[in-house]
Amino acid sequence: MPTAIFSIGRSGLGATRASLELTAQNIANAANADYARRSLTQGELVLTGSIGINAVDALGGVRPGAITRAESALVQRQARDASSALAAADAEYIALREAETALEGAGLFGALVGFEAALTGLAADPLEPALRIAALEGARQLAGNFRLADETLAGARSRVQDEASAAVSEVNALAQELAAVNRDLVGAREGTAGRAALLDARDKALRGLAEQLAITPVINANGTADVAIAGTPPTPLVSGPSAQSLAISFAAEGTASLAVGGAGLILAGGAIAGRIDALTGIAGLQTELDGLAAGLIAIANSAQAAGVDADGAPGLPLFAGTGAGDLEVTLGSAQGLATAPAGAPAGSRDSANLAALLADLGAPTGPAALADALLLGLSSRVAALDIRRDGLGVVAASAEAELLRETGVDLDVEAANLVRLQQAFEANSRVIQVAADIFDTLLGLR
Amino acid sequence: MSFVSNSTGSFFTRSLAQMADLRGAIERTQTQIATGQRIARGSDDPAAAAQLRDVQRRTALADAESDNAAQLGQELGAASDELEAVTALLQRARELAVQAASEPSGPDAHRAIGIELEQLSQELFARANAAGPGGTPLFAGLASGPAFTRDAGGVVSYAGTPGSAAVTVAPGTAIERGLPGDAVFTFELGGAPTSAFAVLGGLAAVLAGGAPDPAEAARGALAGLDAALDTAGRAQTILGTRMAWVDQVQQQQAERGIALAERRSRLGDTDIAEAIARLQQSLTALEASQAAFARVSALTLFDALR
Repeated sequence: MPTAIFSIGRSGLGATRASLELTAQNIANAANADYARRSLTQGELVLTGSIGINAVDALGGVRPGAITRAESALVQRQARDASSALAAADAEYIALREAETALEGAGLFGALVGFEAALTGLAADPLEPALRIAALEGARQLAGNFRLADETLAGARSRVQDEASAAVSEVNALAQELAAVNRDLVGAREGTAGRAALLDARDKALRGLAEQLAITPVINANGTADVAIAGTPPTPLVSGPSAQSLAISFAAEGTASLAVGGAGLILAGGAIAGRIDALTGIAGLQTELDGLAAGLIAIANSAQAAGVDADGAPGLPLFAGTGAGDLEVTLGSAQGLATAPAGAPAGSRDSANLAALLADLGAPTGPAALADALLLGLSSRVAALDIRRDGLGVVAASAEAELLRETGVDLDVEAANLVRLQQAFEANSRVIQVAADIFDTLLGLR
Repeated sequence: MSFVSNSTGSFFTRSLAQMADLRGAIERTQTQIATGQRIARGSDDPAAAAQLRDVQRRTALADAESDNAAQLGQELGAASDELEAVTALLQRARELAVQAASEPSGPDAHRAIGIELEQLSQELFARANAAGPGGTPLFAGLASGPAFTRDAGGVVSYAGTPGSAAVTVAPGTAIERGLPGDAVFTFELGGAPTSAFAVLGGLAAVLAGGAPDPAEAARGALAGLDAALDTAGRAQTILGTRMAWVDQVQQQQAERGIALAERRSRLGDTDIAEAIARLQQSLTALEASQAAFARVSALTLFDALR
């Protein structure tokens, strides 16, 4: 049947063109990280007619099958888990590094040492006005640096809180998006380009969610994904076409807590968990900083109370305040520094009280030692997080590379496909040419 | 799809990440060279940063203590100078007393000696109230007012305190600032407390007139002058010992300063030679990986197919 050759050639042309289009689509999306490469399945078309036991086959060419999407649930999951762990370490590292910059940049330790050195210098001549003023100004600078440290730490805290709030909004948007994708997936026909695009959107939303929180997704047979937040207790976030809303709230001391539908939960991983950990860490730092300031106030003021000033009057408090944020010098003049012990007359150069203050300041439990311990603890934690982050970064990068190898577009393969499909297209058109020649030959018979 | 491909996106991501790593390392090294600081923030090396803070504190305190020692040395030196002058003065007074006691001189000569002794007595009082380089009295102990006061009757009494303040010049080392005036100018004579002022002033008054036998009185004053010289000499010895101590402490401070600077440098300074070698290595690696990236990324089948 010469007409069959036409239709076989035509079906071949159609299938080849569909494959070419898909190849073009793959090439166009080579740089799209959320795109999983597609391929077209093909099926042979054979027409079989039978009367009684006589069956006759007619060849019908090729039938374009379904568009399949390179998929690997396991690798997807590995990439998601790795990026979730990396995002948690990354977020905590960045937040705490900011706190470290705040405390180191405030020059707290330098000011403490400067105050101590000014007092040591004052011991040389406790009545020398210039040395007294230097000591008082040292105290003023120290108070200023405490306030600066408090302020910059508060700045770091509020930035982390803002980031956490933004991340929660992003999670809610992604959950809504995933719910919408789920709704559409139920109606999408198997093997269509539309379904493949929806699956891309589903995986993208899952990746986005996993980066912010640790999730345990369940992929259903129809392609929809249900998501539960991994934590205590595990809490459903997206089930089918409906999504719950995640909420974050901040306590007075700056720590954060999450809730879904009013029920609280503790998150197991992801960037939000990293930020919540960092906020807890920053709250601890704030407590330590306030304790440091309170210790300094107690030491300085009790030393003042135990001595007499240059005029022989009982010493007045040097510092006022309850913590780092409201620490300030309250002593009016440098003459008021109580360098002499109680009972000393006016104008005494006895510096026994000053020596006692210096001993308290330099003690192993004194402010300088505590500030050093605070900074050492923080920088050690940041350094440890940095190392952890590096390690997780390697894991995440290799998982990502694995995922791209499974699902990404290889331009060389696509180029080879282009050549192959072009040849197939030419071959199919040649078939039609041959069919036409046969017809012409038949019609030309005289 | 069953075959595993080498994704183009994966290649670009990987290459970019590797080059970004190299660039980050180069920038870190460059910052280390430019600032001379190996540690930009505590978390770069927490243990070294903590030690650097310790060095920072020690250095600041050592600076203050070094200033203290220098000031203390000056004050002790000033006190010692004054005491040297006081000793010379007392010796001259003793010579005059011997002269008045031994030579058969007339009332005029005695009066002249008396006037000179009176001047010496004034000078002694002034020197006892001398101020140090900081303007504070040298021999008043802990008090800031004059060390000695003279009442209307010309009686000189000590107005300072019995002890003097100690200045911290090194961790755990405090040296007393000076000597209280009562240790320098007052002493016991024949079981009764007296002072160089009383001895000198008394002799001057006797010689200036009014005494039946000035030579005898001068002989009597010699014991007092000897005691005054002894006391001043002892004080001079104490000050000398303390000055030597301060010198020694200053030497130790200088050595400790060098040790601290070395420690600082070892902990926190960039090893320039090593950093430049590291920079060169990173630069070579970056250039090589950029060249490799350009070559490999140009290798696409699309170019080969025409």
